[in-house]
Amino acid sequence: MSSLAAQNSAREAAPAAGAAPGTTQGPPPRRRVAFVPTLVLLLGAVYCLLPVAWVVMAATKSGKELFSTLTLLPGTGFADNLADLTAYRDGIYWQWMGNSALYAGLGALLSTAVSAVSGYALAVYRFRGRETVFNILLAGVLMPPVILAIPQYLLLAKADLTDSYASVLLPLVLSPYGVYLGRIYATAAVPADVVEAGRMDGAGEWRIFARIGLPMMVPGLVTIFLFQFVAIWNNFLLPYIMLSDDEKFPMTLGLFTLLAQGNSQPALYTLVITGSLLAIVPLIALFLVIQRFWSLDLLSGAVKS
Amino acid sequence: MQFTMRRRLVATSIAVALGATTLAACSSDSDGKDAADSGPVSLTYWAWAPGMDKVAAIWNKGPGKEAGIQVTVKKQASGDELVTKIITAAKAKKAPDLVQAEYQAIPTLVSNDVLADITDEVKGTKDKFAPGIWQQVTLGTDSAYALPQDSGPLMFYYREDLFKKYELTVPTTWDEFAETARKLKKEDSSKALTTFSANDSGQFAGLAQQAGAKWWTTEGQKWKVSIDDAATKKVADFWGGLVEEGAIDNQPMYTPAWNKALNTGKQIAWVSAVWAPGVLTTGAPDTAGKWAMAPLPQWSKGENATGSWGGSSTGITNDSQHKEAAAKFATWLNTDEEALAAMVKEGGIYPAATAAQTGGALSKAPDFFSNQPDFYTKAAEIAKTTAPSAWGPNVNVAYTTFKDAFGKAAKAKSKAQFESALTAMQDDTVTDMKKQGFEVAE
Amino acid sequence: MSGTTMNTGKAAHGSGRAPRARSRTRATGGSVRRAPYAFLFPAVVLFLLFFVLPIGYAVYLSLRKVEVKGLGLGSGARSEVWTGLSNYTAALSDSELVNGALRVLGYGAIVVPVMLGSALLFALMLDTERVRLTSFTRLAIFLPYAIPGVIAALLWGFLYLPSVSPFYFLLDKAGLPQPDLLDGGPLFIALSNIAIWGGTGFNMIVIYTSLRSIPVEVYEAAKLDGCSPLQIALRIKIPMVAPSLVLTFFFSIIATLQVFAEPTTLRPLTNSVSTTWSPLMKVYQDAFGNNDIYSAAAQAVIIAVATLVLSFGFLRVANARSKQEEAR
Repeated sequence: MSSLAAQNSAREAAPAAGAAPGTTQGPPPRRRVAFVPTLVLLLGAVYCLLPVAWVVMAATKSGKELFSTLTLLPGTGFADNLADLTAYRDGIYWQWMGNSALYAGLGALLSTAVSAVSGYALAVYRFRGRETVFNILLAGVLMPPVILAIPQYLLLAKADLTDSYASVLLPLVLSPYGVYLGRIYATAAVPADVVEAGRMDGAGEWRIFARIGLPMMVPGLVTIFLFQFVAIWNNFLLPYIMLSDDEKFPMTLGLFTLLAQGNSQPALYTLVITGSLLAIVPLIALFLVIQRFWSLDLLSGAVKS
Repeated sequence: MQFTMRRRLVATSIAVALGATTLAACSSDSDGKDAADSGPVSLTYWAWAPGMDKVAAIWNKGPGKEAGIQVTVKKQASGDELVTKIITAAKAKKAPDLVQAEYQAIPTLVSNDVLADITDEVKGTKDKFAPGIWQQVTLGTDSAYALPQDSGPLMFYYREDLFKKYELTVPTTWDEFAETARKLKKEDSSKALTTFSANDSGQFAGLAQQAGAKWWTTEGQKWKVSIDDAATKKVADFWGGLVEEGAIDNQPMYTPAWNKALNTGKQIAWVSAVWAPGVLTTGAPDTAGKWAMAPLPQWSKGENATGSWGGSSTGITNDSQHKEAAAKFATWLNTDEEALAAMVKEGGIYPAATAAQTGGALSKAPDFFSNQPDFYTKAAEIAKTTAPSAWGPNVNVAYTTFKDAFGKAAKAKSKAQFESALTAMQDDTVTDMKKQGFEVAE
Repeated sequence: MSGTTMNTGKAAHGSGRAPRARSRTRATGGSVRRAPYAFLFPAVVLFLLFFVLPIGYAVYLSLRKVEVKGLGLGSGARSEVWTGLSNYTAALSDSELVNGALRVLGYGAIVVPVMLGSALLFALMLDTERVRLTSFTRLAIFLPYAIPGVIAALLWGFLYLPSVSPFYFLLDKAGLPQPDLLDGGPLFIALSNIAIWGGTGFNMIVIYTSLRSIPVEVYEAAKLDGCSPLQIALRIKIPMVAPSLVLTFFFSIIATLQVFAEPTTLRPLTNSVSTTWSPLMKVYQDAFGNNDIYSAAAQAVIIAVATLVLSFGFLRVANARSKQEEAR
């Protein structure tokens, strides 16, 4: 075991169970850098960041500079844009931001929880109808969401739930994608004998899941959380149909109202761009927090518990 | 919160016991906010124009308080989707009391049983609007389905400095317009007078309207669709010809490239509506003070007509439990001097009410047109010449086909395709109406 | 204990069938038998409420249509009636829907392989030893997924339209030819680029998270046997993340067939993208532009069935293959 651990430490991002602290932030071993992979990743990063750089640069431009200066050069208006955005209708932007945080945070949390229990059940148990249930849940993604928004609205209207926070939250809690991911991660992370051992110790099924299965699934679950968070954060059509009260709007929908004020109104480009840039910041923060969890070796959970 | 709730409950029971008049009398004695909260009628209003909440606040503090009618504005995003959203909400009986609706959406909304017939409620307001505008809210019938809110008469905008530089004269007819475009191309082939944008159905509809087109009319219990009538054909041929010979550009408007073209003087004119200054302010900021506005070119000398692009109305829904109260607010909003001034100031709209089109908030030219101090006086003159337009229950279908068919034609730079695009618009519109079961006269 | 647990556990999932061999052994009473149903209960309830009911409603709508009397003005002039399959026959005979499907297939042929190929490549690179800047590149590649769609049209307008694009500026300065990105063949590349840019990071994370779950001792053995990093990647890592690859493929096929955002983003910028460029755009146009939810629902059902055939067909083939491998 000890020799294994020593070799493992070479694997920068994944120390073995019980070895060095399980984060990427750990000091990289003093060895040759793998140039080709690093270069490939950097190229990928540049490709991905170029359009993002446009958003950053454009947010620094005043309305006057936006269409008149070179596209990827910075402007001088960021502070003004920020002030204008904050001043717009008494700071409703921050209300939208808060709403988005609520929708995405709570929605992703619930969604991850549902994906975790369902994925775990589908991975760990063998029961009648397992594949059928799984396939039917998956088939839920076949119907384009575009066409479901209106029926969902009409059904929620029957329950008198439209134009409420719940109307945006509830339809997004179940994510077939999340369930599928949950199943894959649970299959990979929760070994059969650990579950068996739990049973031998006399633990109930829920207890085995909560105490043994769940910790093992954490790296996968944070991924599901991240995806659901971003998906809900950027969701547009459902809130568009469900909400009429703009104080309940999420950020995307709020920004859209700034662009679409009728063709007689100039679109408030600079506000929308600045607002979009600010909207990325919480997602970056979330990503930075979440990536720490990917570095835990899945099995370390089992060892610890 | 609980306190207010209880208070409202008490107030309501008193109202029931004593009748609403007594309550109004009582509450005007107490402090303003609570009186507003306990008002017997509260209305919701879906609008997309900026600043409508501030206009509603004036009502809520003043006339609305007296009448016991409070209005909450819920700001929406404009666009085709909003019509669907309103129809869906109405299907679920959750539509707001009042909606801001573009003129061309009114027949669709009426046909879907969303907008209420408010003929009786708005009696006496007809004279406040130009006949061509009023006709759009009546759909040519004796009923009224909305009150006109703002309008967008078409005009001709051009770069005064560049016109001088290239020795161009301001065209008064479309023939002169074509000549101007050709002359500019000859002077400097990197420039274009303007572009034909297949993205903006509203502009094309306005141009057809000026030429005398009436796309939808009724004959008894039948609709008559004449999108491919002679007048519209003339317009399509004209623009198709200019695109084909390369005298003007063929790329869509409202793109970053278009903004840049206006800002750098690559395009030096724009057929647009009275609201153009706002768009130019953000889209072509470097050109402030360099533009001028003139009446739209005419089809033959001596004529005097224009079309409209954009504009909207205030409608009242069938879901509203307080149609009369809603009509009171809508009337105030669109005819009261203070309301109109506030709409101009807060929302930057061009009011539909004739009296508000000069003086007051519009006595001064927009900053962007400081070189043309009589901007709004001139605009009001032009607004009076707005030709009537005739909308039908599936304008959206015609508009969608416009975008696709004319987009293809503009891309191909083919005059012949402009004509066939028009035929496609007519055919798609008629097919859709028949599919829905409308009686269509051939 | 932990050591043995790891090894046997892993050996089992190597073939992706860990769950099988087990709980059947000692099905300890009712609680084990009931547990999966209890665990799935919330998902099933939510599924019934927010998927089955609305889908059912959409299918119902697809069999209905509006019928108008007279001018269709005034209340009661418009009623909803049964129309049988006419919405379906109309959709199937609409050449625009077929053309849209063909365009989407062309687009998918670029997007799916390139996006998933680079996602896998990046994930493997991130998981390689002695790679630097992983935190930064991982975030950078994921970031596009976080850009809100509200500004997409503006963003790509600024990068694609020749007169404002910095790339055309450079091409111009360098005296190179400047292709029209928004027409013909290049249009497909322009569209695919948006999708690849936005989706690679997402899929990379899925695969990467799976790679993280492979226990290190699996590689150690291979390394001791003298396998190069490339061989480890090809022979061990890729087979072990196969379930994730299947998942990303499955969802990418669906996303391709339901492509909507990318062409909608470019539509206002050019005359080359019609409102019915992809089948789902047509659905959206009918539902939200033309207020014909009935035809839109019928088309959506057709798209769903086509997606079902293609995506589940793929899943079947993939599963059959993995079973074969298990059998070996």
